[in-house]
Amino acid sequence: MGVILEKFPKAAKALPGGSVALTTADAFIGWSRKYSLWPVQFGLACCAIEMMAAYAARFDFDRMGVIPRASPRQADVMLIAGTVVKKMAEPVIRLYHQMPEPRFVVSMGSCANCGGPYYDSYSVVKGVDRLIPVDVYIAGCPPRPESLLYAVVKLQEKILKMKLAKGAGATPQQETGARNINA
Amino acid sequence: MTAEALASKVAGRFPQVVMAAVPVKDYCTLRLTSASELAPVVGFLKEELGFDYLEMVTAVDWLGPVSPEGFVRGGRNPNPFASEEPPTPPAARNPGAPYKPVFDLLWCLANIPERSRVFLRLEVPRDRPVVPSLCAIFKAADWQEREAFDLLGIAFEGHPNLKKILTPDFLVGHPFRKDYAHVKDRYDE
Amino acid sequence: MTNTAGSRGGRFDQLFVNLGPQHPSTHGVLRVGLTLEGEVIVKAEPDIGYLHRGSCKLAETRGYHQCVVLTDRWDYVSAMPNNLAFCLAAERLMGLEIPARARHLRVVMCELNRIASHLLFLGTYGIDLGAFTPFLHAFREREMILDLYEMLCGARLTYNYIRIGGVMSDITQEWAAKTREFLGFFKPRMREYDDLLSFNPIFLARTEEVGLIDARQAVAWGLSGPNLRGSGVSYDVRKADPYSSYERFDFDVPLGKRGSCWDRYYCRALEMRQSVRIVEQALDGLPAGDIAAKGVSKTPKPPPGEAYAHVEASRGDLGIYLASDGGAAPFRLHARAPSFINLAILQEMLVGRKVADVVAILGSIDIVLGEADR
Repeated sequence: MGVILEKFPKAAKALPGGSVALTTADAFIGWSRKYSLWPVQFGLACCAIEMMAAYAARFDFDRMGVIPRASPRQADVMLIAGTVVKKMAEPVIRLYHQMPEPRFVVSMGSCANCGGPYYDSYSVVKGVDRLIPVDVYIAGCPPRPESLLYAVVKLQEKILKMKLAKGAGATPQQETGARNINA
Repeated sequence: MTAEALASKVAGRFPQVVMAAVPVKDYCTLRLTSASELAPVVGFLKEELGFDYLEMVTAVDWLGPVSPEGFVRGGRNPNPFASEEPPTPPAARNPGAPYKPVFDLLWCLANIPERSRVFLRLEVPRDRPVVPSLCAIFKAADWQEREAFDLLGIAFEGHPNLKKILTPDFLVGHPFRKDYAHVKDRYDE
Repeated sequence: MTNTAGSRGGRFDQLFVNLGPQHPSTHGVLRVGLTLEGEVIVKAEPDIGYLHRGSCKLAETRGYHQCVVLTDRWDYVSAMPNNLAFCLAAERLMGLEIPARARHLRVVMCELNRIASHLLFLGTYGIDLGAFTPFLHAFREREMILDLYEMLCGARLTYNYIRIGGVMSDITQEWAAKTREFLGFFKPRMREYDDLLSFNPIFLARTEEVGLIDARQAVAWGLSGPNLRGSGVSYDVRKADPYSSYERFDFDVPLGKRGSCWDRYYCRALEMRQSVRIVEQALDGLPAGDIAAKGVSKTPKPPPGEAYAHVEASRGDLGIYLASDGGAAPFRLHARAPSFINLAILQEMLVGRKVADVVAILGSIDIVLGEADR
């Protein structure tokens, strides 16, 4: 897949009518990507309970193609559901790097966004975007499951904007911060 | 068993153990005078009075008000728009407070069938916080003593596995001490 | 991998396996270091602290009312008992008298929360052992309780409803009617869980003979809650040290027989029935009057002293120790967290068991890491 995504845009641009082919390919790849967002089954704190509620019957995450995977190797998106403490920082980074490209991160809840109620604590990382790049932030302590659904919708919109011509087949290598997919 | 009856039973065997001047409210609180008394008193309570359930082990650092250095922001107002007001000197804040350089250790034992519980307390100096471990008597002491060691730096002599339990390995110091100063690590700024 | 002489004379490979901190069935971020000899565990070392947020230290800079917010996030599956434990300790420190109506409302909320928490346990324990369907059933009912809470105080998980001196708001007629409606809906569902899970032969085979804790061991390790009662020790703080007028309610304390995983599981299932009874009694006999004590300062400064209060939270005996130096913030806040103490027994319990039983045992202890690490 990586070879196609990296080499195909260059080859297509050289051809006559290549940009049309690229647009079609974008639409197809984006469509297939956005409806099969598989998150790592990974909960940290309070928000993980709301995440579980989102998987359960009422909110039914499955209908958006979101099915939890037990292994990061099979996952596309990481839901950081809860407080990231310093002891957990290393495993979070490692899990992120174990996921295949393209990978997305949703920072769920105040703690993952900026430390939340623990902004002053000696053992909490003040925002997971200090460790890994984040695509969507959800506010709330904890956010409702609907917010998580909305975040997935936003992520899907973002995925549709990823263009092969801009080299966004594989996400740009960014270490930390709020990620701009088109950068 | 009422608090007085219990205290008199213990005092019958260990005359130096008396009711504490500052009790844990509504519970029988006994003050130990030295660390060496701990194991015999606890053994007596367990074997003869049936207090076989160790409910809690904790400690308090009575040095003084908590130092703002122990927090990442150094006690500053988190609101960036707030005006920086001059800090009140800590000593002026609570004049009647019983500050002294000691760790006050607290054990809570319970007797399940008789529905009674007793608190034991012991003061150890801050510069040499060493107390005997109760691991051999209560297995429940294992992790709770490790927690007190990790957070307050109290050494429990005879503990089989006294090492950090909650804080990350690279954290320097014992964060629940009142004079703990946070050293910025790679995750703070 | 190291080669060592096995216990049975032959040579076995010792293998170190990390369970967690990211593992689908560790119930949060827990790491258990397992040393295996073949399939048998020879050493187990639970490693916690992956959710240590230092909230007890933060409490030393916050006012008493603000601390209630921090307690919500310890045992986030059932936050009401946490609120209650802290408020009881603070009230004892301040010498406040709580009106009867507030005490009853607290009981209603704590018991509803116990049902919600045990439902989550039931669902996730099913998942741990490979049964996904009970999770969907359990969450259906759990959502109804969360709806009630939302109607009451606007939050689904972290309520901050029980305040120092009383509760945040009174219940409405509509809320009481909805709660009764829910209880009517819920009662027959408990038989459904028994059919689905409790007496399912596969489930029984995986839990009935697994993770035995005898009564002496349970007391020695300081277990509490259903883990202790599953071993047949009758210790429930609601009976042993009644708080918040629990002595006025008529309920039983379900006990297990042998302390197996199934006994602990079924204790929780039976406790839900008792909680329903308590909620019904409390709603029927709800006294009129104030919902909060008068004259609670917005920045309370209790006189120097110390207080301890404990409640029967969903996971066991949650004790709060508070020391005051006369200031506006607690001088020291310590929580006797049941998950933390229940977890310690794993190092003894897992030894000699098969790897496949680890998840069954871990699930049956029912930990919440937010509380274990605080």
